[in-house]
Amino acid sequence: MQETIPGVPAAKARVFGPFGRALLAASRAAAIFGGIIFVLLVFMSIVSIVGRKLAASPVPGDVELLQMCSAVAAAMFFAYCHLNGGDVKVDFFTAKLSPKLVNLLDAFGSLLFGIVGALLTWRTTLGALQVMRSEETSMILGIPQWIAQMLMVPGFALFALAGFYMVTYHWHKRLETAGVSA
Amino acid sequence: MSGIATGGTIFALLMVLLAIRVPIGIAMFVMGSAGYVFLTGLEITPLLNVLKTVAYARLSNYDLVVIPLFLLMGQFATNGGLSAALFRFVSAFLGHLKGGVAMAAIGACAGFGAICGSSLATAATMGHVTLPELKRRGYSGALSTGALAAGGTLGIMIPPSVPLVIYAILTQESIGKLFVAAVIPGIIAMVGYMIVVRIVVTLNPSAGPAGPRVGWGERMKALLTVAPVLAVFAVVIIGIYGGWANPTEAAAIGAAACGVLAIVTGGMRMKGLIDSALGTAQATAMIFLVLLGADMLNTALALSQMPVELAAWVQGSGLSPMLVMIVILLIYVLLGCVMDSLAMILLTIPIFYPIVVGLEFHGMTQTDKSIWFGILALMVVEIGLVHPPVGLNVYIINRLAGDVPLSETFKGVMPFLASDFIRIALLLIFPVICLFLVGTGG
Repeated sequence: MQETIPGVPAAKARVFGPFGRALLAASRAAAIFGGIIFVLLVFMSIVSIVGRKLAASPVPGDVELLQMCSAVAAAMFFAYCHLNGGDVKVDFFTAKLSPKLVNLLDAFGSLLFGIVGALLTWRTTLGALQVMRSEETSMILGIPQWIAQMLMVPGFALFALAGFYMVTYHWHKRLETAGVSA
Repeated sequence: MSGIATGGTIFALLMVLLAIRVPIGIAMFVMGSAGYVFLTGLEITPLLNVLKTVAYARLSNYDLVVIPLFLLMGQFATNGGLSAALFRFVSAFLGHLKGGVAMAAIGACAGFGAICGSSLATAATMGHVTLPELKRRGYSGALSTGALAAGGTLGIMIPPSVPLVIYAILTQESIGKLFVAAVIPGIIAMVGYMIVVRIVVTLNPSAGPAGPRVGWGERMKALLTVAPVLAVFAVVIIGIYGGWANPTEAAAIGAAACGVLAIVTGGMRMKGLIDSALGTAQATAMIFLVLLGADMLNTALALSQMPVELAAWVQGSGLSPMLVMIVILLIYVLLGCVMDSLAMILLTIPIFYPIVVGLEFHGMTQTDKSIWFGILALMVVEIGLVHPPVGLNVYIINRLAGDVPLSETFKGVMPFLASDFIRIALLLIFPVICLFLVGTGG
């Protein structure tokens, strides 16, 4: 229900089909990639702070780089979180329901998740194209703004796929738990 | 439809979605979008236009970068084994007292909280390190698990603290000021928990027997191993306090320092680094998804005028401000029965904040009021982690302990909960507790 807690056994590992495993691998890779971007941003910030304090020469455009890169990196995280069951949700009212019903509800939740992901993918792509036509660039380094926005799109596409995949996952799971008594 | 009616309907439907397990961020996003369409005359185009930029605008927010950076710092601290060193250190000083090891566990939680902004991670990490030791020394299950579940909340109460960052962003308050304001209440929380341990062992000496005294040589050695952790905290907080680093920069320094420590003294290697990246990814996504949803929801709520109307109504109602505040705090306690602390802040601040700043409290200025309310809200949402029925910290510690019945843990946590309520009451009556260090009067 919450972030991964070191030392506490996670909920039972999910069993995915071949497509699910590929999607999980891709999302995991994206999450690690995004995480490494943040590590690099930490380095850049340190260099910039030290440079500014000691030599009055920070990394040029450090703030805009930080903003662009962190937006791209953060977009990479959503799919992994959802496939891992890391969403924040209220499970208090449904704690006593049968696993079958809970899986049905989760299928619905994942459907909404997928739809939101698809909306974001679609609209962010159009938004980026619009910015490209307007030729906006960042203030200091002159990096075209649309690039950062477009780079978020793969992350959002994974976001949508993760949602839709989990719909099928919970749907099948519902049948499984119906067969085996819970 | 009046603003309150529209906003109320959006909220009611949102609650339905939440009750049927829709992820909180998604539920807020969906209801926010639906409300937006409704309020713009059932036209879909305005919504589609908003969606073009909402994600980039939110995720490229400079202040928001603090969150993944602080999470990364906490991950490094966790995967780099800094927790054990902290516990050894506090234990060397307090272990010989009655209940001393439980106090040490609380002190170590506070120390860990100073480099980690998450309660659950603090509870889990420290529980891992301290529970075996508490058991070996013959501490009762109720006292050890209760102390740790409560101690875990220090992870968020002592800055850096993710909910405070969120509060700051929602209310356009300074993150630095809020962090500084949280320092004294955080220390009071720690001392309060230690006093609770003291009282418990006085009433029931067998719950926490005294251990052998540790010599000063040993103590100094322990101090040496934690000195880097203390230094990291000092750099982060003093950097923000002194104004020579903004919170994002301070978080970067903290993350780098913890990363280096984890590699040099904690033996973190490639696997630890990847685990840290994945842990950061998961926690960041969890928080940012709720933030994105809150963005959409707040856009719709603002359009409905509900927060303004509600604030005006409360102001005009002639209710005593203190009473209003107490009702708000009680609502948090109730929401805490079913909801996560971050989600509570995101969901309620846009509505409660205008009410609070519109009222008179102790003759405070606007800034003071908003800092004070932030710290109060933080303390109240935190206790949702330790009180029944959900109390996530309680479950985590109980699962880690393995052989303590859940009812024992809940019983053990009760005295700590009492100290939480006393502290909140104190802060309610004496805002100066949090405003003193901020230096804005009070």
